[in-house]
Amino acid sequence: MKFNRKPLVVAISTLAVVGFSMAAQADYPEEDITYIIPFDPGGESDVTARFQEPILEEELGVSVNVTHQPGGGGAVAWSQFQNDAEPDGYEIIGVNIPHIIGQPIQRSDAGFETDDWRIVTFFHSTPNALIVPDDSPYETLDDLVEDAKENPESITLGGSGTYSANHLGMLRFEEAADIDLTYIPFTGTGPLKGAIEGNHLSGIFNYTMLGTEMEDEARVLAVASEERVKALPDAPTFKEQGYDIVGGAYRGVAVPKDTPDEVVETLEDAFAKANEEIASKQEPLGFVMEDITGEEVDEVIGQLRDAYGPILEEAAEEEE
Amino acid sequence: MILRLNTDVVAGLVGLAFAALLWLPHGSMGRLSILFPRAVLVILVLLSVVLIIKGFIRPGERRVEITGSPRRLMVVAIGFFVWWIAINHIGFLVSTVVAFYALTWYLASVEGPVSWHRLLRWSPAILLLVGVFYLTFKEVLNIRLPAGFLI
Amino acid sequence: MEMLLQALSSVLTLESFLTVLVGVTLGLFIGSLPGLTATMALAVLLPFTFSMEALQGLIALGAVYMGSIYGGAFTAILINTPGTPSSIATTFDGYPMAKQGRAYEALAGATMASVVGGVVGVIFLLLLAPPLARLAVAFGPAEMFWVAMLGLTLVASLSSGSLLKGLLAGCIGMMLSTIGVSPVGGETRFTFGYPPLQGGIELIVALIGLFVIPELLTMAAEGRGAIPSGGELRKRELSIGRIARQVFGRPANLIRSCLIGQLVAIIPGAGGNVTSLVAYNEARRFSKDPKSFGKGNLEGVVASESSNNVMVAGSMIPLLTLGIPGAPPDAIILGVLLLHGLRPGLDLFTETGVLTNGFILSMGLAALMLLPIGLLGGRIIHRAVIRTPYYFLVPSIAMVTILGTFALRNSIVDVGIMLILGTAGYFLRLIGIHAAPIVLGLILGGIAEQGYVQTMLAAVADPVPWLRLLQNPLSKILAGLVLVGAATALIPIWLERSGRLARVDQEPNAPGDQKEET
Repeated sequence: MKFNRKPLVVAISTLAVVGFSMAAQADYPEEDITYIIPFDPGGESDVTARFQEPILEEELGVSVNVTHQPGGGGAVAWSQFQNDAEPDGYEIIGVNIPHIIGQPIQRSDAGFETDDWRIVTFFHSTPNALIVPDDSPYETLDDLVEDAKENPESITLGGSGTYSANHLGMLRFEEAADIDLTYIPFTGTGPLKGAIEGNHLSGIFNYTMLGTEMEDEARVLAVASEERVKALPDAPTFKEQGYDIVGGAYRGVAVPKDTPDEVVETLEDAFAKANEEIASKQEPLGFVMEDITGEEVDEVIGQLRDAYGPILEEAAEEEE
Repeated sequence: MILRLNTDVVAGLVGLAFAALLWLPHGSMGRLSILFPRAVLVILVLLSVVLIIKGFIRPGERRVEITGSPRRLMVVAIGFFVWWIAINHIGFLVSTVVAFYALTWYLASVEGPVSWHRLLRWSPAILLLVGVFYLTFKEVLNIRLPAGFLI
Repeated sequence: MEMLLQALSSVLTLESFLTVLVGVTLGLFIGSLPGLTATMALAVLLPFTFSMEALQGLIALGAVYMGSIYGGAFTAILINTPGTPSSIATTFDGYPMAKQGRAYEALAGATMASVVGGVVGVIFLLLLAPPLARLAVAFGPAEMFWVAMLGLTLVASLSSGSLLKGLLAGCIGMMLSTIGVSPVGGETRFTFGYPPLQGGIELIVALIGLFVIPELLTMAAEGRGAIPSGGELRKRELSIGRIARQVFGRPANLIRSCLIGQLVAIIPGAGGNVTSLVAYNEARRFSKDPKSFGKGNLEGVVASESSNNVMVAGSMIPLLTLGIPGAPPDAIILGVLLLHGLRPGLDLFTETGVLTNGFILSMGLAALMLLPIGLLGGRIIHRAVIRTPYYFLVPSIAMVTILGTFALRNSIVDVGIMLILGTAGYFLRLIGIHAAPIVLGLILGGIAEQGYVQTMLAAVADPVPWLRLLQNPLSKILAGLVLVGAATALIPIWLERSGRLARVDQEPNAPGDQKEET
């Protein structure tokens, strides 16, 4: 399956890259860049890309086209990208942790590998957060843990997706606190809000953004970040309360594996610049801006793979 | 064309075939994932069996009418698939122009032979139509239309 | 009140008028192309709104939304193809009308119904947002399961001819909905080891395939256009007044459909896809002459189109008050609100009330604008479809269909799925398995599954997990409605079978008439 935009141009530019590498890369980018979002329009990845788009265009001097290719929790776009995209930097794709770690472990037909591309940068993260409605009997995390010890499995926490950042985070919390909770997956954050407003759940294990969005009608019991999140200064971290749980979703962009270093650096700089400018808009919403590039990327992936891998493999075996 | 066919029995067989198509290669799945599809499949199979039995005892419609020319139906149906494959390999623009001409010629020739002149006279309309949609989708809506070895 | 007047004055500017005019026209065009959905129209428009002020941006989005939902009616009536899922029910009577040469009557009726629906939705939103929002959140997993079951009782009325075959079609649709990643469990199902199938079968892809392709194949085989070319506009039909009398002459149908539209619109997730089906079903149930439905009854078109346009403003209720998108396009509007620093909630109606009310009022303006644009546009498109020879029409529609399907998810595989389903759909229709119940199954399958499995998960600590399905008062009511719905759908069929209704209904071809119902 080919999606080459202008095969001839691509062929020539690839040749140019190989032939006169320095001269050619100095000119990157020369044509429009396609920025693939593997999710539906309206989601966090999409909204962020829309924020970035004008700044990237300014920085790179070419137009950046955001397109959507949703399906399979991202897997459809990722498998196609790893198979077809040309390593020239004109096609970039949004990538998310833990999706790119979890799906290849869980599915035999995910169609992509965690490492089979070059991740340019993770530009922000959204830490997990444990949120309960205002009228909840749990004032603190300890209240919830205590109740869970007395009534195992009866506390229901909703989150977004199965074996997602939320689900995995909650499983780690269960282990750390030695309790049994019940996780109920929802599709996306919209239905979650409704479920908690309508008292269909005891609480939510979702991201910090939902915590800020629901500031007036909910309490954040704990945030899974190293330090407190700027948008939620009153919400304590899990670490403060004695549970070593740091995690959430990371969003970034990737290019095909053999993309020249110069191209990757140009993109790194552009995304870093974009981050600077949109921080003032995104931080109040609960995002944590990051600039994870180069070797740090492997470090983050390695770390999270160690944390999540055993849980995922255990789950995969149970299903056999 | 009118075919004699017990539609109840055929519909039941289609249901069974569809169930088998999905069920046989399904492999292993977790409890939560299999719960719902299994329930629906059981109902699907039951309905199919009831339909087949009913088809023998008290059949409903027993003839099927294909209006118009069955040959033209098949040619156009296959034509759509060829078009689809061509888009993937040749690119959207070229294959669509070719497919458009071919379909127009084939369907217009129902009313009598189509001369080259007539085809030529249609050209502005066809090219304009394809061109406008191509550009709208590509430039305005930012869709990356498939391009094979042409455009 | 003062706030409302202030909002009104901010909307009644030349700039706003132009924004609404352009927005509605653009939306109408996009909505009438199969495959281009309201969601997509809004996504494309989004970058342009960044440079606008908050109010102008929201006005533009609201107008496009209104226009695109209405635009679906055009293709539904003229070529039996719902441009958006919300106009499926419009095809049931709209297309038979077109075939009888009454296309313009159907189009004009649909336009008037849409205007009424749109305005009613705005009024509900202005006056009743908070209480309706409370009702919206009462729908939890168990309630959603019952909503899906309630939707499935529609199968009985969608399956022209054989109920068994209708149920079979519904099951096929539900099975199609399970292809891909499971909503609870996160595993891939029925993908045959083929990675692109992880994305599952997108509703709109199936919708386009099952409705458009059989129609194109029929046109090709019969060597004729969708609408008889002899059915040129007759003077009498052009009389807007006469059509208006027909639409407004029996207000019960309009009122009922608008109420249904509003109630269904606030159910998160079910939203616009089923409103028109429910309204259509009720219009037929309460009609004095239910047999005429499906054969070109204007009331069917009116029910469908009024209810789905109520949904536009109606689904904003959970969005604006609670930040819960009621329908997919709302997710984008939520993004815009957040982008401008507007957090959904009561503040939206008090602190930034001028802006919010301005946005709401502009949707009313957009709804009113549908009337001139729709009547004029309808005439142009109608003429274009009638005058175009079928050998042009078939490849043109096919091209737009392929483009639209591809554009949905940038996927050539989707185009293949669309063609396969469509070709299969043609032959299935021959043996009495119709597209509408298949699509209904596809819409409701996911909702039913998620609701059921989530409920069972939540009840894991209960002694009898099943009872969770009936724990809340609302779920009890819904379960009761399911029983009533199934009974009222089934009993007439049984009575008819046993011959007890034979005196009332003398038409010999009524139950067995399977030709061109959907």
